[in-house]
Amino acid sequence: MFASFRLSFAWLHTWFGLVLGFVLMVAFFFGSLAVFDREIDRWALPQTRIEAQPMPSFDKILASRFATITEPDPEEIEAASKRVTKPLPDKLTPAHFGAYTTHRDPVLGMYVGFDVPNSTLPDDHAYGEITIDPRDGHVLPRDRLALGSAFFYPMHFSLHITWYDIGYWIVALAAMAMLAAIVSGVVMHRKIFREFFTFRPGKKLLRSTLDLHNLTGVVALPFHFLWSLSGLIIFAGIYFPVLDKMMQPLVEAHEREEATHTGLDTHPSGKPGTLASVDAMVTAARERWASRGVPGEVGFLFVNHVGNSNASVSIYRDSTDRVATAEGLHFEGATGRVIFEDPPTGPIETVNGFLSGMHLQQFKHWTLRWLIFFGGLLSSVCIATGFIFFVEKRKHAHAREGHPGSRWVDALAVTTVTGMVVATLFVLVMNRALPEDLAHRDTWEKTSFWIAWLLTFVHAAWRSGAVLQARMSKAWAEQCWVIAVSGALAVVLNAATTGDHLGRTLAAAYWPVAGVDLTLLVSAFIAVIVARRLQQHASHPSPATASLEEPEHA
Amino acid sequence: MPDALLLIAALVCAVIGMGWLALAMDVHWNQVRAAGRSPRTAIVLRVLGWASLAASLVLCLMADTATMAVLVWMMLLAVAAASIAFVLSVQPGILAPLIAFNGDSPRGE
Repeated sequence: MFASFRLSFAWLHTWFGLVLGFVLMVAFFFGSLAVFDREIDRWALPQTRIEAQPMPSFDKILASRFATITEPDPEEIEAASKRVTKPLPDKLTPAHFGAYTTHRDPVLGMYVGFDVPNSTLPDDHAYGEITIDPRDGHVLPRDRLALGSAFFYPMHFSLHITWYDIGYWIVALAAMAMLAAIVSGVVMHRKIFREFFTFRPGKKLLRSTLDLHNLTGVVALPFHFLWSLSGLIIFAGIYFPVLDKMMQPLVEAHEREEATHTGLDTHPSGKPGTLASVDAMVTAARERWASRGVPGEVGFLFVNHVGNSNASVSIYRDSTDRVATAEGLHFEGATGRVIFEDPPTGPIETVNGFLSGMHLQQFKHWTLRWLIFFGGLLSSVCIATGFIFFVEKRKHAHAREGHPGSRWVDALAVTTVTGMVVATLFVLVMNRALPEDLAHRDTWEKTSFWIAWLLTFVHAAWRSGAVLQARMSKAWAEQCWVIAVSGALAVVLNAATTGDHLGRTLAAAYWPVAGVDLTLLVSAFIAVIVARRLQQHASHPSPATASLEEPEHA
Repeated sequence: MPDALLLIAALVCAVIGMGWLALAMDVHWNQVRAAGRSPRTAIVLRVLGWASLAASLVLCLMADTATMAVLVWMMLLAVAAASIAFVLSVQPGILAPLIAFNGDSPRGE
């Protein structure tokens, strides 16, 4: 099909990179934001702007809060009603309680899993969730959008397309394409070492774009590879559901066998039982960690077989000091006796824990957190320059032939590069501009995001007519100006509506809000520089830009 | 805080190491110095570069547990390489002190 191995890889890189690059752009950009999801939450939810809190007392606060969750959330009931062979009973039985926090959380997420009888899935549960203020246990309102953890973060791996989980599959396909693009990119690159440090912004756009694409691709190659791979591994259970589909009998047998030596029953006893003091179990867990010299607060607390005589309580140490997560101590619910402690993990589990842990970043290491954020931005630049290169390389030929290809690629590139940033900043602006007591405020915020994004596409498509004449679309510069204005506006609105201006947050060293504000201002500043350069470029195109000279590789 | 100092030192070592590795290449050496350099200097620069990157790893390992340190180091290398490429494209003269031990005159003087 192709004259050489290299050319066939170039074809793969170009076309898979183009088609799935738009999805990758979303995955990497929102993934970068998700690195600071908790901090963005603080910015977007001013009532939660307090210091991070440890897991509160179970006996005094959590037990009574769990008792208020009497049924699954409406959308969970609706989803569950489609998985059952007989109608759901009016009252579902709670099966387990969970409460989860990290060293960056001032609020606590809690959930109750309810048994779903007559389900087509084994061990099926529907969930009811609340978020509380751990200081006094009061429940936070439901219709306030945690922008970081409940909007940007799920966008990163599901695109918010929930229908048949299709969003997960699209992102997975894009991650596979990323892995293929990394390998094919290395094969195509003729001077991977000779041009390792090469970026020539003074050369014509085609050349300097390719330089930047190669540079950002090569210097962060391990990052691009490991993060795409670990992202796939985290959701491997969705993509290869061997455990709960093909190997179900084996899995059940394994669980039964495991239960015999862990002492943790797989099924509830069916006999009523009561819980001993969970706080005493937490104290026992803390003593055990202290005796081992490891730091630790409770990260995850789980009560299984709630209300049964064989209830168990699992207490997991938070992951501040390590990459891999999950290190649990399991107690008998009725007596508070330790039944089982997670043993050191085997080699496969260790590798899996490391890869997913580095992707999920529950550790306490602000330097590494920032480095990973920059890694994500390098990936985003790499993908964005790939689009620009694609258009630059073809637009003259397409203009001569009247072919609309580059025009539409350019419009989509504007939408997924600057347009996505515009939509992100717009939702921050709306978060501060909408009335505080607006009903369904979260829906308004989400809708404003999608509308803004759609408008950036309309704008990009309208302006991309210039590409048909082999000129640069003005949409790039114009959307950069929108980024600059909305970034600054978000900071101003935050100060105006909450009083937490930078002077105050910096003086109080309240970094979640100060950090978001500073990042917004830096982004606005960069957008101004880029917009001005793009406009200078458009008004005085260098002669080299118009030339059709081919670069050294596709 | 000593950990923070160790990490800053690790970053500095990574940046300097990448700078030396870049200057070991003809094209980047010529951006900084008018006169060419001997093959021996290239080898010295390469050895210095790799040694500096290794020192950066050691500093990371002193600051954190091994699993965390490897990730920090990997990301520091990316940031360091990108920074050196950026310096070379904007103001390569900044790297001149890295080859001050080699007595030739700087470019343009």
